[in-house]
Amino acid sequence: MSAIGVMRKDILDVRRAKIVWFVGLLFTLVTVLFFYQINEFGGIDGFADVLLGLWNLVFVGALFIPAIALVAAYLSIAGERESGSIKFLLSTPINRRDLVLGKFLSRVTVVTASLLFAFVVAAVLSLVWFSDLMIGTFVAIAALTLLYALAYVAVAIAISASTATRSRAMGGALAFYFLTNLLILFNGLSIDAALDYLLNDLLDLGIGQDPINFVTMLISPTQSYLTSTTLAFPEDFLVNQGLNPDAAAWYVQGEMGLALLLAWLVVPLLIGVVRFERANIG
Amino acid sequence: MTVIETNDLTKTFGDLTAVDSLNLAIEEGEIYGFLGPNGAGKSTTINMLLDLIRRSSGSATVLGYDPEENAKKIRQRIGVLPEGGELYDRLTGREHLTWMANSKGADDDIEAMLERVGLSAEDGKRPVGEYSKGMQQRLAFGMALIGDPDLLILDEPSSGLDPTGMQEMREIIKEEADGGRTVFFSSHILGEVEAVCDRVGIMNEGRLVAEGTLDDLRGDLDLGASISVEVSDPPRASALESLDGVRGVTVRDHTVDATLTGPEAKVRVVTDLDDRTTVEDIISEDTSLEQLFNTYTGNGEANTADSGQAVESAEEAETRQEVAQ
Repeated sequence: MSAIGVMRKDILDVRRAKIVWFVGLLFTLVTVLFFYQINEFGGIDGFADVLLGLWNLVFVGALFIPAIALVAAYLSIAGERESGSIKFLLSTPINRRDLVLGKFLSRVTVVTASLLFAFVVAAVLSLVWFSDLMIGTFVAIAALTLLYALAYVAVAIAISASTATRSRAMGGALAFYFLTNLLILFNGLSIDAALDYLLNDLLDLGIGQDPINFVTMLISPTQSYLTSTTLAFPEDFLVNQGLNPDAAAWYVQGEMGLALLLAWLVVPLLIGVVRFERANIG
Repeated sequence: MTVIETNDLTKTFGDLTAVDSLNLAIEEGEIYGFLGPNGAGKSTTINMLLDLIRRSSGSATVLGYDPEENAKKIRQRIGVLPEGGELYDRLTGREHLTWMANSKGADDDIEAMLERVGLSAEDGKRPVGEYSKGMQQRLAFGMALIGDPDLLILDEPSSGLDPTGMQEMREIIKEEADGGRTVFFSSHILGEVEAVCDRVGIMNEGRLVAEGTLDDLRGDLDLGASISVEVSDPPRASALESLDGVRGVTVRDHTVDATLTGPEAKVRVVTDLDDRTTVEDIISEDTSLEQLFNTYTGNGEANTADSGQAVESAEEAETRQEVAQ
């Protein structure tokens, strides 16, 4: 398998880059701090402490994980185009699709390794501090968070495959992070709020929150991830947190979040392959 | 078998035609020099043969395959030394060679390859980020040689090499060709091409403006050669003009300048002068190569650094020829 060959060689190279491990360790550190806080000040009465820990971890992860994934992958192809080393890579018996897929697999491996490390640390801390793991919820959140990370790796690969220089790849990655993450997470400044203001306050169309939420899920893996995590938590915990999934329309349920997250994994990768197949590498 | 063939191969970037209706036919076992000034379209052509750049029109085959359809099969059987490609700073020399061997499923002796391209076992253990430009070029050449390729495509192989390195590389290229391999290499340095190539093609502004053996091209242009000899007691010019292969002679103080129909007449002039008087110095500049190049590329004011090198290399070649004779 040529893509596997590209992956192995790329892992050999990228594992010596400190920045990727640094960002991964930072996420572990933040997770530890949040769990420590619950251990010190307590969780919510009537619920296992680990649930609040995971709930907080989802929101920290929502912000941090795209950054980890983008940093780990945005230079993977564009950087080699700028330095010209890609000419050596493309002198080995591979085709262009193998190159894009191999780069994706390599960066997925790196990001998965650093997230698994963070989750193993979180599991150990749960057992030590909370004496309870809620294994079903824990594993589901870990899996969804990993999928979320891989979707952003796929996007970073697509951006990297479509740009010829480091600076353009960085511009693309920053723009995507800003639009699909920062502008989703910060209430008041969010795309969500802007749509609501435009459609309902200015145009007075009386469109409900559900269609607006669906649009933001469609344009943002972050929103899809947040929605998908409602699949993992017990319903009474969600109600306690002020959410009522039963009241929302079917197309903004956790299942749709999961489906859109999967689409965010596959579609960018396909776009990356197609764009790179057509590129002139001179 | 025709190893590289192009028919009306053309590449345009917007308004610029980088390669214009190029027709090439490189036969098996040939060492083909692809010449031309920087920006003539050499690298664009090579990049199309390697499927790094997609052609605008025309066709091309490498080892019988269309690069745009079967790049993988081509890459399995060729060795490439790309131009201006950086290696991986964080990987060692040995890791580069091992990677290349693994990707081709080849079982080359990595240590032997390091040695062959002039790198020590110690160098092989160091990350390439610590290599000089010349060492990187040697390693890249070694990577191209991995897997016993049928065809070597070398884009400006001597860039970054010192004269010894260039000489060593030329020797390896000759060895490879003696083993039946086809070598296609580009250069903007004439002397280098002259020393190894069976046949050359000269590119200028995207077009192939001349092709053939260097002797053919010299003959076509009728450029001849020249020699300048310092003697203690110069004879009259007319005494030398009757020699076979001598076109014209001028005598100025102690210097005799002769223009010749070809380089083979140089020895005759020197021998004749040696019989008549004492030869004090011989200046043999094969300027015809420069002229040849400049005539085809319209590059009368060639980049001085490059032409300086070309003259040097041409001189080296001359000196070797004379020593052999």
